[in-house]
Amino acid sequence: MKEMLFYLIRTDAGELSVSPIVQADKPFSAHEMLSPGLPFNLAQGLSEILKAEQSKAERSKAQQSQNEKKEILKFLRKHSDLRTLDWHWVRLPLAEGKLETAKAATVNEVNEVNEVNERNFTSRIQGRQLSEADLQRLANEMGLNLKEVIQLCQLSVLKGQAEWIPAVKKEKQGWRCMRCGETKIEEWPSIYGLAGTCPSCAALGALSSLQVLYRTLEPCPNDGGSEANRRPGVNREPIRFAPHWALSQAQEKASREVLTFVSDETSRKLLLWAACGAGKTEVCFPAAARALEKGLQVLFAAPRQDVVLDVAPRLKRDFPGLDISVLTGVSTRRFTPASLVLATTHQVLRFYHAFDLIFMDEVDAFPYYGDEALAWGLQQALKPKGKIVYLTATPSPKNIAEIQSKEMELVRLPARHHRKPLPIPEWIKSSVFDGNDGSDELNQWIKSLAQCGPVLIFVPKISWVNVYVKRLQAMFPEWIIEGSYSSDPERREKIEKLRTGGYSVFVTTSILERGVTVPDAQVIVLEANHDIFDERALVQMAGRVGRTRENPQGRALFLARRKTPAIQKAIDWIQEQNNLALEQGLIE
Amino acid sequence: MPEIQETWEIVKHLCRSLLYEKQENCILCGKADGPVCSTCEGEYFHPELGRCRQCGKLIVKEHPLCLDCREGRGPKGMDKVAAWGHYTGAWRDFIHTVKFKSQPYLLGKIVRPLADWAVNCLPPPDALMPVPMHFERLAERGFNQSSVLASALHWDLGVPLVEGLERITPTTPQVGLNRRERLHNLSGTFTLSRAGKNWGVKGRRIWLIDDVVTTGATLEACAHVLREQGVGEIYGLTLAAGLEGDK
Repeated sequence: MKEMLFYLIRTDAGELSVSPIVQADKPFSAHEMLSPGLPFNLAQGLSEILKAEQSKAERSKAQQSQNEKKEILKFLRKHSDLRTLDWHWVRLPLAEGKLETAKAATVNEVNEVNEVNERNFTSRIQGRQLSEADLQRLANEMGLNLKEVIQLCQLSVLKGQAEWIPAVKKEKQGWRCMRCGETKIEEWPSIYGLAGTCPSCAALGALSSLQVLYRTLEPCPNDGGSEANRRPGVNREPIRFAPHWALSQAQEKASREVLTFVSDETSRKLLLWAACGAGKTEVCFPAAARALEKGLQVLFAAPRQDVVLDVAPRLKRDFPGLDISVLTGVSTRRFTPASLVLATTHQVLRFYHAFDLIFMDEVDAFPYYGDEALAWGLQQALKPKGKIVYLTATPSPKNIAEIQSKEMELVRLPARHHRKPLPIPEWIKSSVFDGNDGSDELNQWIKSLAQCGPVLIFVPKISWVNVYVKRLQAMFPEWIIEGSYSSDPERREKIEKLRTGGYSVFVTTSILERGVTVPDAQVIVLEANHDIFDERALVQMAGRVGRTRENPQGRALFLARRKTPAIQKAIDWIQEQNNLALEQGLIE
Repeated sequence: MPEIQETWEIVKHLCRSLLYEKQENCILCGKADGPVCSTCEGEYFHPELGRCRQCGKLIVKEHPLCLDCREGRGPKGMDKVAAWGHYTGAWRDFIHTVKFKSQPYLLGKIVRPLADWAVNCLPPPDALMPVPMHFERLAERGFNQSSVLASALHWDLGVPLVEGLERITPTTPQVGLNRRERLHNLSGTFTLSRAGKNWGVKGRRIWLIDDVVTTGATLEACAHVLREQGVGEIYGLTLAAGLEGDK
């Protein structure tokens, strides 16, 4: 791919600017441009050096131009590959039209033809942080070519509404990816010296230090009151919030507390700690409605596409007529203006100072994946005075520490809507997985649990799934037994069948631990003492049991050689949740 | 508490990395046994096949030359050309990611097996010399993949890297041209660079490094310039080539 090059442009009066388009910024003065172009970080560096040179003692024009040449040569000497090039200033033609009319024109008037495009553009890019590949996509969506979109970008940069920044930036301590915040950057030798590419967010299209990000700047709050802060192009119909559900007593209490947090001026972070299957998402809807009524920008973010796709129809149903933009890796339309955005955490990295209120669902879903990238991404997407509500059933140690240090507020939702306590998982001392010796024991447990409903068996390794599926199919030929794991191509179909009670026994890894409701499910965790099962994974797996009103009971068994601290903690957590719910009169 | 846990994780990680080599995944299929697993090695690097001495193409071991070269249609002027893998599937995707998606650092992940393979095919050189790119293209991409590859090999093998050639006219795309047209297209494109002159190429043994060899016209054009300057031996080394019988 061609990287975008920036040109150093100088007016005859000596004003310097850096632009990706070979065109005079100010139509009424004569310009020249340094050729060839450079990557943004270098062009900007060079422009700063020259500006510093200019600010030195007053010199004659001829002297200044001489000094500039010296500075440019000095700069190029540092980059041996660039030295041999034919560096020269090119005179730019004046903007179209006669000099007289050009003199009278403003930037806007010159671009009159583009005014419609410009409005359309502004409404789509507010609050975004986009790479050149994203700009290409935007161009496609707007029916323009990339050059036209880059011109619109540069126009808003000149108006002070946006800025170009290096995509990967050299800081004092080292590199940092400006999109995801990663500091472990892969270096490589470029002709412009050492360059760096960010490997962490490469899934969104890899970015290097030779590339730029275009990001919009928040309109100044003094620029005309709240109306100006509103996203242009979004309909301003009054918000209709028409919930299709009734909150349980526990949900209503939590919902009120979330609403208070949103309206409250003081705190900026909240953790909604809910029991598994307590309906935490809907608890946030009234607060979202309040924010939307105030004309604020709201984001619902979740780490996985399936969670986003699950929440989208619920929001659309409860907020009829509202513009909602749903962004996942497979979204085709990415730049529709909307007050309410639903996005995977990856897509959040394409926003900058865009939201007043963010709901971050399943905040701990990927304990091993870039905790820091997530925090960085959310912080970037949030407006400087915005608020974040984190939703989880299993807070991380970091979350708990933040609550203890009062950096974050806490709202608890300890009871499910059916007002029954959560089934407490049981530790069973066992070594069934050591070989065939224990098979009998496992079979007994499966037989006994299967009488109450489908048995979900969680195993710590993908390689165990098919082994156990085969073994159990041989043992219970009359039952329908299947298994699945993250890279299973039939995963989606199998899980759909599982939801509708299609299997008697289902063997899986932790992929199934979240968000899935299987009526009457019973749970067995094999080798629950395995390192991969921390207390949060165990709570989530146990949380598959007793989720429905029809059957609020069930058993969750942790089969393990020994009781690990994680097992004990998981049991304690659920017990504590039940105690709290009982105290508050939320369960019977 | 979280800090202690974090520190503990780091300590564990460090201890493990002292005890065992960190497991790397295959850069082509993502499964275990990196940097290139045995399945991908078989699929893309075909240890069972030979290479056409003249153009690098993957061919059966019985023949020294591919059909094209036997019939005189191959590149001339090189002592031997060795192409590591078959330019197809995941290996082609990898090369594209390196070239077009700002990820030249990925070359660092395959340089060890490439270097091992190359020293078995070619005699030790006096220098590695990348096939140059015209500056206009170079300015837009920010790097020459052949230079990055040569640089990685230079660090791995400890052989000097000399940017001895320069491309003085911009490339017109070679796609769709036959070998004769490509050669014509390339005549006068390359010249000895200042670095090449300073190093002194006369009588030297050089490995010319490029990413992919198709007809070999580029390598031939480079070799032509080097021969004129009295270079002793010229070997071509590339990441990939076609496989005889490819359409």
